[in-house]
Order: sequence, then C-alpha cells, then structure tokens
Amino acid sequence: MDLAGTTERAAVGQTEPLRRHRGGRPMGGRRRAGFVFSLPVILLVAGLLVLPIGQTFYYSLTSWDGITSTWVGLDNYRQLFSDSTFWQVLANNGILLASIPLAILIPLLVAFLLNERVLGWRFFRSVYFLPTAISWVVIGMVAIRFFASEGILNNVLRTIGLGSVHTDLLSGEFSAMIAVIITFIWSVFGTNTIIFITGMATLDREVYEAARVDGAGAWSIFFFVTIPMLMRFIQFAFILTLITAFTALFSLIFIMTQGGPGFATTTLEFFVFEKAFNNGVFGLAAAIGVVLFAIVFAIWIVQFRILRSRTD
Amino acid sequence: MNRTRRRLSRMAMFVVLCLVVVVMLFPFYFMTLTSFRSYDQYLAGSGFSLDSWAVLFDTIPVLRELFNSTVVTVGAVLIILAVSTTGGFAFAKLGYPGSAVIFLLLLAGMMVPVQSIIIPEYVNVSGFGLINQFQGAILVYAALGAPFATYLMTTYYRGISNELIEASLMDGASYLQIFMKVMLPLSVPAIVTVAVLQFIQIWDDLLIGLLFLQTPEVRTITVGLATLQSSRMVNIPALMAGSLVSALPAIIVYLVFQRHLVRGLTMGMGK
Repeated sequence: MDLAGTTERAAVGQTEPLRRHRGGRPMGGRRRAGFVFSLPVILLVAGLLVLPIGQTFYYSLTSWDGITSTWVGLDNYRQLFSDSTFWQVLANNGILLASIPLAILIPLLVAFLLNERVLGWRFFRSVYFLPTAISWVVIGMVAIRFFASEGILNNVLRTIGLGSVHTDLLSGEFSAMIAVIITFIWSVFGTNTIIFITGMATLDREVYEAARVDGAGAWSIFFFVTIPMLMRFIQFAFILTLITAFTALFSLIFIMTQGGPGFATTTLEFFVFEKAFNNGVFGLAAAIGVVLFAIVFAIWIVQFRILRSRTD
Repeated sequence: MNRTRRRLSRMAMFVVLCLVVVVMLFPFYFMTLTSFRSYDQYLAGSGFSLDSWAVLFDTIPVLRELFNSTVVTVGAVLIILAVSTTGGFAFAKLGYPGSAVIFLLLLAGMMVPVQSIIIPEYVNVSGFGLINQFQGAILVYAALGAPFATYLMTTYYRGISNELIEASLMDGASYLQIFMKVMLPLSVPAIVTVAVLQFIQIWDDLLIGLLFLQTPEVRTITVGLATLQSSRMVNIPALMAGSLVSALPAIIVYLVFQRHLVRGLTMGMGK
C-alpha cells in the first residue's frame, strides 16, 4: 500500500533529537548507532530500488536486449512518441483517470450512510473492506466469468427480464475497458470507504446537527457540509486510487484481457511488460518505464503542492 | 410524522447497505458455490460434487505452491520487519548528519512504480543467478515493501518519549539493548500492522512471482493460478477452487487482523 497524503508531514516533521545527558554517552556514539541501525534499509533500497531506477534511465537511452546495449540517445523516445499505439495506451490511462471520480463518489455516498450508524454498520464496514485481502488475480478470474457472454451478468439480466440486453463486454474494444474499470472500482471501494468513514469520524457532529436544525436535507448536508469538510481525505483517496490505477492494475489486466482486444486495455504499466518480455525490446520498454515514472512522480509533486498551499 | 419519516429513511439506508453487501460478497459466493460442482453440474447449474477440487489438485501442485508462497511471503516480511524497525529507530531517534535527507530519499522510493524498475531488476537478479531461487524474489519483495514500512515505523517511534531512552542510557544500556528491550516491545502494534499489510500484499502479488519464480518447483500459488488461466483451462469450477485456495490465507489474515489493516491506512494518512 502506498501512502499519499502526508509523507510531507513526516518529511518536515522534525525528529526531536535526544538530549545529551550529563554523564551520558558523547553524541558521536548516538550518531554512529543511528548510521549502523539505518544501514540495512539503506543498502536494501539503494541496491534494489535506487540502482534499477537509475539503470532504467540509462538503458532507455540504449538499444538493449538484456545482454548487450548500444547507446542510441533519444531514439527510443522518438520512436515511442511517433508510435500511435503509445498514444492509444496513454489515452487508456486517461480513461482510467476519468473513471476515478466514480471510484471516489460511490464510497463517499456509502460512507455517508454508514456514518449514520444504522443497525449492523460494523459488519457492513468489514464486509466492504474484504476485497483488500483478495489478489487481483482472483478478482480478475471472477470478473471474467461475470462479464462473459454466458456469464453472470447476462444471467442476472435474463432473470430480471432484460434478456434482450445481451452483453459481451470483454470482446468489444471500448467495452472491455469499461469492464476493467467496473472491476477496478469494485476493488478499491472498500479502501476508499474506510478512508471516508475515518474522515467523517473526525468531523464535529454538532455541525451536522446545526445544519439539520437550519432545515438542510440529507443531500444538501452531503454536498455542502460533508464533502467540503472531508477535502483532505478525498484528496488522499484520489491520489491513492490514481496511483493504484496507474501502477497496480497489471495483474488484473493480465488475467482479464491480456491488454486486448487489440491494445484497448493496455495501460502504460502493461505496455512496459509487453514490450520487454513479449517483444524483447528492453531499451524501448525502459523508455516507457521512464514515462510512467515521470507521470507518477508528477502526480506526487502536485499532491505535495496542494497540501502545502492548504496548510499554509 | 417526523419520527416515522426518520425511521423510514433509516430503513432505506439499511436496505441500500445490504445491497452493497450482496455486491461485495457475490464473488465469494460464486467461487465457493462453483468450486463444489463438477464441470457438468456447473453447466447444468445445479448439484454438489468434489470433482473440481480433485481436478485442481491433479492439475497443479497446490500444496507445493502454497508452501512456496508461504516461504516467499514470510521471508520477505521478516526482512521488511528487520530493516524497518532498525531503520525507523535510527530515523526517529538517532539522527546523524544527512539522515533527514536519506529518509526523504527513502520516502521517494515509495513513488517508484514496480514497472519502472522491473527490467534492470530482472537482469541484475539473473546476473546473480537468483532467478527461480526464493532468495531473489524475497529480496525484491523486501525492497519494494521496505520504504513504506520504514515510514510507518519511523512515524510510530517518533511518538515514543525520549525520556525512556535517556533513562536507559543513564543506566548504561547500549543502543542495541535499548532497541531490543525498550523500542521493540513498545512497537508491537505497529510491527503487527506492517507485517499484516505486507503479508497480504506479497501473498497476492503476481508480477514479481511471474518473472522471478518461473519454474513449477518454485512457483507461488498466485502465479500457479494465473498460469492455469492463461493456459486456457476451460474447467471453470476447478479455476474457482484454485481461486478460493489462493485467496483463503490472505482472507484469514484479514479477518484476524482487520483492525491493524485499518490502522495501517490511517497511519499512512499521518493520523
């Protein structure tokens, strides 16, 4: 799980140094201990995260088959940006982005209801959060059967008398993306609901009461009281969902659609895998990896900016 | 009048929330029901049979793959706990010149998408001959989980009072002793949270397993399941049985440690 909202707080939050005691050890001992204690995590992350991201940048400037690489400068990027498939893939990421408001709004509404503490709300809460424990592979497996031509969705439609509306979402280009998005929204529903319930628990109930006394209905309370007061949590959920959509859907796509039909459900992260491990063009794949990294990095920076402007 | 309306609206809320439960639980119902039908019974839409479970165990080495998943997941979680508790202690309490910058860089590690590093990672690990070895996958998982875990531990340790440590120092305890006897026992809740979060994430992962553990002997259950699916296996009940088996350990961990997961999320928000 990634965190989004408040790394900044941790980053700027000062570590209060231990005071040096009379008769205590000299500062040097503490510093040395600090260095030694932090060494394992530094080595691990430097060797297996920092080094490879550097290599990705380097190899994106080479023609590379995994063994030998030759310097080609910006050729990979030129090739990438003139490839219409790349733009289609980027557009797919755009469609994912466009679906995120729904992945926020539905949990927000449900959290609003849960917050009324109706009978059994604790039970509801833990059922909603359950999909966080399930792998994308398993989710994808069921999703295929759900959307299949002879699948659950069509059975349900038939049962409620809508048999004429026969769907086959996974075989159409745009509809396959819709199927992936529906599955995605289902999967992140629990996490976002929990975030919003946590947020609502921090709100002052008196504000609600005051609004109610003033004659505000449930809808206006939701839109004019709850949403504005939850902005920090909504923003956190938005970033978390966006990062998930861009960097965690590989397995789901791998299982549900293999990126198809055509490239209809290939997103950037799937494109990296496709180019590297199916087409063997590692240099080009590295360039796509750099583009993905740049996009994710930009999202985080924007997020920090917004946070800072709000706390100032 | 007003009271009846109030009661009606609460009833309506309850009904809506129940409908959401149906939507969220349906996949589990479908998996369970389908797995207990033979292929023919599945097509016919009724019946009960253990056939599909037999098919599943005949097709893939389920127990072997569960064992592999356990080795990889537990191994990686242990490394993550080791480096994140020591690192968290250092960054929270034992600052040294440059430690703040290093901590920031570590946080930046959380922003690196797996796909952006996966190719060189694969080449490096295979250079050490660790493809299809548990150690390779374990190290990669550990590195991917370490930044977030260290962040959570650091946040937690910052909340522990300095006086405790200073008092122990006065008593002549070494930093190692303070870590083992003061910090670790105090941070058990945070340790559990980190362990549960990472366990579920690693158990459920496909990509790293797919690339770093390719041979049947070392395959994890999640990868085994994905291989079944992509081999165009048509026996849907057997696939559902496989899904259920692979999901069960993580579901049990979830049910037992639910509270800790929620706390992980809120700790991530910096609360």
